[in-house]
Amino acid sequence: MLLYILGMDRLTKLENESIYIIREAWSQFKKVAMLWSIGKDSTSLLWLCRKAFFGKIPFPVMHLDTTYKFPEIYEFRDKYAKEWGLNLIVAKNDESIAAGMGPDKGTKLQCCNELKTDNLKKAIAKHGFRALYLAIRRDEHGIRAKERFFSPRDDSFQWNYKDQPPELWDQYKTKAKDEEHLRIHPMLSWREIDIWEYIRRENIPMVSLYFAKNGKRYRSIGCAPCCNPIDSQADTLDKIVEELKASPTSERAGRAQDKENAYTMQKLRSLGYM
Amino acid sequence: MRFFVAWKGKLVYSQSMKNKAVLIGLDGVPYGLVDDLANRGVMPNFQALKKQGVFAKMAAPLPAVSSVSWSSIITGQNPGVHGIYGFTDLAPQSYDLVFPNFNDLKAPAFWHKHPELKQVALNVPSTYPVKPLNGVHISGFVSPDMEQAVFPAKYLPKLAEIKYEIDVDSELAHQDMDSFLKNLFQVTEARVAAFRYFWQEVDWDVFWLVFTGSDRLGHFLFNAYRNEGHKYHGDFLRYFKRVDEVIGEIAGRLNENDSLLVFSDHGMTEAKANVNLNYFLQESGFLRLDKSSGELYNQISPQSRAFALEPGRIYLNRKGRYPNGAVEESQAEKILEELSDAFSRLDFCKQPVIERICPKERIYSGAQVANAPDLVLVEKEGFRLRAGLNKKELFDKDIFTGTHTGDDAFLFVKGSSSFVDDSLKAEDIVAIIEKTII
Repeated sequence: MLLYILGMDRLTKLENESIYIIREAWSQFKKVAMLWSIGKDSTSLLWLCRKAFFGKIPFPVMHLDTTYKFPEIYEFRDKYAKEWGLNLIVAKNDESIAAGMGPDKGTKLQCCNELKTDNLKKAIAKHGFRALYLAIRRDEHGIRAKERFFSPRDDSFQWNYKDQPPELWDQYKTKAKDEEHLRIHPMLSWREIDIWEYIRRENIPMVSLYFAKNGKRYRSIGCAPCCNPIDSQADTLDKIVEELKASPTSERAGRAQDKENAYTMQKLRSLGYM
Repeated sequence: MRFFVAWKGKLVYSQSMKNKAVLIGLDGVPYGLVDDLANRGVMPNFQALKKQGVFAKMAAPLPAVSSVSWSSIITGQNPGVHGIYGFTDLAPQSYDLVFPNFNDLKAPAFWHKHPELKQVALNVPSTYPVKPLNGVHISGFVSPDMEQAVFPAKYLPKLAEIKYEIDVDSELAHQDMDSFLKNLFQVTEARVAAFRYFWQEVDWDVFWLVFTGSDRLGHFLFNAYRNEGHKYHGDFLRYFKRVDEVIGEIAGRLNENDSLLVFSDHGMTEAKANVNLNYFLQESGFLRLDKSSGELYNQISPQSRAFALEPGRIYLNRKGRYPNGAVEESQAEKILEELSDAFSRLDFCKQPVIERICPKERIYSGAQVANAPDLVLVEKEGFRLRAGLNKKELFDKDIFTGTHTGDDAFLFVKGSSSFVDDSLKAEDIVAIIEKTII
């Protein structure tokens, strides 16, 4: 508290808030895992978890592997899982993969649903997780502005954003009903620029795709067929930070599928069509 | 470039040498309401127009929702041809919910069918994302991304300047009705500004202008229409008065030989209760959900024989069509009979809820019938057929005080009445425009 009054810097405040939430959740749930997409946000979250537990993360770190990720992602995952001594779970929806699901079969939404959402559901059921750490941020997407630090989901993954526990004065509802699992969002307050400034400050290793090569770099990474690089000369952390400060477009502009459906669904809901 | 010339003793625009057509759409407005407000002096311009042409009831295609009806209005086809059966559908061979859009429309829109006519299409629902045309197209609800809602893109800065919005923010009505109404009138004024701009800017032959605020008002405040003591009664009338002023302005800008059509896509009435069809199907043993198997319709288990999509679309869980499909072709007829029997006995306080049960072959024809719902239920007036999957009761109520009707949309055509008959349908509009101006 004293440090707040004395004016702690922004990144340290964010770091403290995240570490507090990470530890608070761990004290409530032992059956918990962290989702690691190997992207910049979840790798930063991983870093925060390592800090929260002095280098040794006491819960599994789970990668939802669609098998369509960039080769650089797999390489990075395996290297640091070993180096940081992670209890890594690689979850794959083997059934869908065997049935040939991919971005060219069916719609991109179907592909995401089977290889990510269904995959996650199966993994939660298999391992019996009661809570999951996710590195989502409020500034990522319109709908995420409504998220809470501790966000309940029912067993069909429904998130009722109109019926969430209030989080006033930093009092968090960390209990979940039996049929629910809790999503823990320690990085909700972070912005894209905070992430990069923190990566720079802490010198966190990052997948090379984020750094410009031949005038292009990825601002957001996921599956190779659904991500497009942006024009950029930013090949160092300093240049990325500078670029973001000047950029008028959104981070996920290069991601194909998610925006329109979320928007449409909410519009239809608000008119009583769903 | 426009200039005035003398023509038959009158000053007219030079471009009026060819006949033009203006199509004004009022989303979700029933025949009875517009007739009543015209008679009562709230819509004096429309009252005057009524005497200059034909004003009739018109049937919307089934189910009576904007996406289906507007697709019929702009293509001149029934859903069996244009392939749009609702705001939602399930992806092929899956239970994943998808949102059909303009790319899924299987018949050409009027502006693509008639590229020889320069057209402005402003705010026609379910026409997103826009495609190139001879003219200007700004799509209506639902248009997630403004950049894909405007053709040509050069008009984006102009639209930003006039603060053009695709639709009122209906979320506001759930929080604060005053803010909702303020937003509704702002969006309407921006729409009027856009219409005035394109009217001058483009040398058009056909101009489509759709007001969608009427439907939004209907959804949230239909109970304010007749109730003079209702807090928002005045606002309800004020909206229609404003739309009437624009109709008057447009009528005044047209020449004698130009065509004018004013119409709605479906009607509206006061909502009595929601009927949760999937709950009913579960209770009657037609539908079984397995919550562990996924979200929304992915919960449908192999024991399910039927399920519902909004508003009253009933689908058999057919083998070969859905991942957990269980119904064999040979069983289909029997199950449809059982379903019809069950729905015909569905009652609310001893009053029947379902007016008609329509098998797809009876209401649709064309290459897309295979993807149609097996049955479409038409409700008794005032019931809202809903398809939520996690409902705990058969009937409930919510914030929505209005609900759609299908048989009392309206059509006004200026001038000759020879092509308007008693069985007027939304899909007849294309033929009427063609007869009047081509």
